[in-house]
Amino acid sequence: MKKLIDILPLIIFAILIVVLFSFLSNKNNQLETVLIDDTFPKFSLSSLEDDSRLLTQADISELPALINVWATWCIACKVEHPFLMKLKTESILPIYGLNYKDNREKALELLKRDGNPFEFSIFDFEGRLAIDLGVYGAPETFFIDRNGVIRERHVGVVDDKIWEEKFAKYLYE
Amino acid sequence: MTPEIGHILLIVFLVLSFAGGFLPLTSVYLNNQTFEIPIKKLAFSLFLLIFLSFLSLVYSFLIDDFSVAYVSQNSNTNLPFYYKFAATWGAHEGSLLLWILAMNAWLISFMFLTKCSDKNFTNAVFSISCQVMFSFCLFTLLTSNPFERILPIPPLNGADLNPSLQDIAFTIHPPLLYFGYSGLMIPFAIAVAAMLFNVDTKEWATYSRPWTLLSCSFLTLGIALGSWWAYYELGWGGWWFWDPVENAAFVPWLLSVALFHSLIASQSRSVFGKWSILLSIFAFATSLLGTFLVRSGILTSVHAFALDPERGVFILGILGFFVIGSLLIYSLKDFKKDEVKPYQLSSKEFGFLLNNLLLVILAVSILFGTIFPLIYEAATNGKQISVGAPYFEIILFPFALALGLLQGIALYLSWGVTSSFNFLQRLTLESVSLFGIILLVLFILFDNLYLSSFATIFLACWIVAGTLQVSKKRNLNYWNFLKKRLAVTFAHVGMAILVLGVGVVTSYSIEKELILTPGDEFEFGDQKITFQSIEDTLGPNYFSKSANIIFEDEKDISSVVTEKRTYTPSGQLTTEAGIVTEPFQDLYISMGDNLEADIWSFKVQIKPFIRWIWLGALLIAIGSMLAGLNRIQRS
Repeated sequence: MKKLIDILPLIIFAILIVVLFSFLSNKNNQLETVLIDDTFPKFSLSSLEDDSRLLTQADISELPALINVWATWCIACKVEHPFLMKLKTESILPIYGLNYKDNREKALELLKRDGNPFEFSIFDFEGRLAIDLGVYGAPETFFIDRNGVIRERHVGVVDDKIWEEKFAKYLYE
Repeated sequence: MTPEIGHILLIVFLVLSFAGGFLPLTSVYLNNQTFEIPIKKLAFSLFLLIFLSFLSLVYSFLIDDFSVAYVSQNSNTNLPFYYKFAATWGAHEGSLLLWILAMNAWLISFMFLTKCSDKNFTNAVFSISCQVMFSFCLFTLLTSNPFERILPIPPLNGADLNPSLQDIAFTIHPPLLYFGYSGLMIPFAIAVAAMLFNVDTKEWATYSRPWTLLSCSFLTLGIALGSWWAYYELGWGGWWFWDPVENAAFVPWLLSVALFHSLIASQSRSVFGKWSILLSIFAFATSLLGTFLVRSGILTSVHAFALDPERGVFILGILGFFVIGSLLIYSLKDFKKDEVKPYQLSSKEFGFLLNNLLLVILAVSILFGTIFPLIYEAATNGKQISVGAPYFEIILFPFALALGLLQGIALYLSWGVTSSFNFLQRLTLESVSLFGIILLVLFILFDNLYLSSFATIFLACWIVAGTLQVSKKRNLNYWNFLKKRLAVTFAHVGMAILVLGVGVVTSYSIEKELILTPGDEFEFGDQKITFQSIEDTLGPNYFSKSANIIFEDEKDISSVVTEKRTYTPSGQLTTEAGIVTEPFQDLYISMGDNLEADIWSFKVQIKPFIRWIWLGALLIAIGSMLAGLNRIQRS
């Protein structure tokens, strides 16, 4: 018979592991909202165009739609911009912008100069919605289907090729 | 191509470390030569593999290869090249690679520097280390591959390195910490190997001591640098925040300090053998636990890593495997009784025991305070609570006091029994005199004495007097005596200086929020502060508002700049504090908000003796480094 004291460290540590594991599974439930096949996260942020207008998830009303994360400091977004304009002019689907950690004046100026492909842009200065979405950086694009569920995401520039490969199929579902 | 080469090297590393983790042990247990492999050569090849793999990631950063996802998330064309280099370990994936590299460096150093007569024992240490490295490598490849590409169309520019990491102290702080954490793998492997092969307590303690000391030295440096960085970068002027991640580094530090002290007793007197084994296991376990807490996202802190619950499960798996495995061996093993000479309450052995108890209870309390918010959240279904500085300070104070008092007399104690306590009289006399001198100096410097600082100041004097042991050796050649004890003198005096710094800075600091427009003056303490002007400046990847401030007292005038930076790629704001360092105090000013056109708020602070905290930590690190290197040389 081994002395209890020799087994004690093992027991204590095993309990610790189990406890930590249970914390982890608690947290998992909360983090899953950022993943594919879940509804778009709730938010309440001002509009880029009009800082007194409060936008929520209900304002993303025309579906299916793209959510595009952009900013004036993001050079790749400038590369992506013509393609978004093309989607807009050909009325393929509505695009909602998520203006990410940006300067409001500069952002509005850019949209005025280069054209505005977005129905509206959410002004996310602190990156709060971006955190909920699990955004890596700009540009990043999410596809929301007609039930408001996130179906696909793409990190980096979306162009014709990416559109065909990743997004187009969801449009005709 | 380069990232793919790095990726392949890492996969080869995985395979070889797997082989290294099992073959040497198999050959020992089956007593079969066919499984025997040249472990020194294998260790060296492993090092080469991981080193080259790491270099290929560095290279991808230096050439701005944004097709590598990790590079695009943590670098930017405008980032200065030295930060591109440091960005390699700026986030989760790359830092894991550095971690494995560090573990391998420790393993190689152990194998080439520590001469063990028992081949089985060396094989086992090698195998266990390989198993640890294998698990980390598997973790990296499966959940956190730094070589993943964004193809076919890579982003044109990256998202930039986290601006607060763009700082010289913060580029070396993580590697030092990782070296500290990963170094604890060696004492762990030695402890497990010692259990497997019934190695004498004396013998394995001798092997383990230098590596524990060196890891502790790296941990000290890493933690001190982090604290220094927080002081000037976060703009609050604090130096320790009891942030969960700071605690996660502080706990293994406490345990490693406890461990090398207990190893002294184990090596010299064969005592505390089992205790030292447990400590080795738990020092390593808490360093993994820290990693788990930081990177699984279950605790929120200023050290935000990209969060991924899958990673948490994996790290917990690694932690569980190694710690439960080794504790299982521990609980099943029949330890043979070491021959121990008896010792009394007044002995050095008992001193070490007390030191260990205090350190371990302190470590457990801090760990508990760190995890408690989680337990509370789970128990109350989501209600949040935060355990902050008050809890930790209340806990820390009595333990620090007891440890300091013990530290003062510890070096006077003798093995077995201390025959005479006559030294107490001299020790008291010396420390009271020193105490008087320091109070006098403080009074001259700051025209004021605070009762609240007396305890810590006296403690510092007590430790210094106890370390220098003037009364014990006053008739012998005192300098030769000190030289022989250089390492312990450095470390213990360093601790005293740290304690003194903490005591003075907490009582004597003054701070004030100011609202100023350019041209304004303000009297603060003995300083006249002038807000001279504000200008726009442009850095390589940021623009900033910088305020020119002048501090003026009777003796000298110094001008500083405090900035509010906006980093262009990410739009993040950072505050750069303006600090004037004088021998006995720091004048500290940080910029607040722009209230109206030209009206700015500032926070100004005078922090006496704050540099002494890091000076003390540096001395502790030097001391333990010296002791470690000394031990290696002797063995």
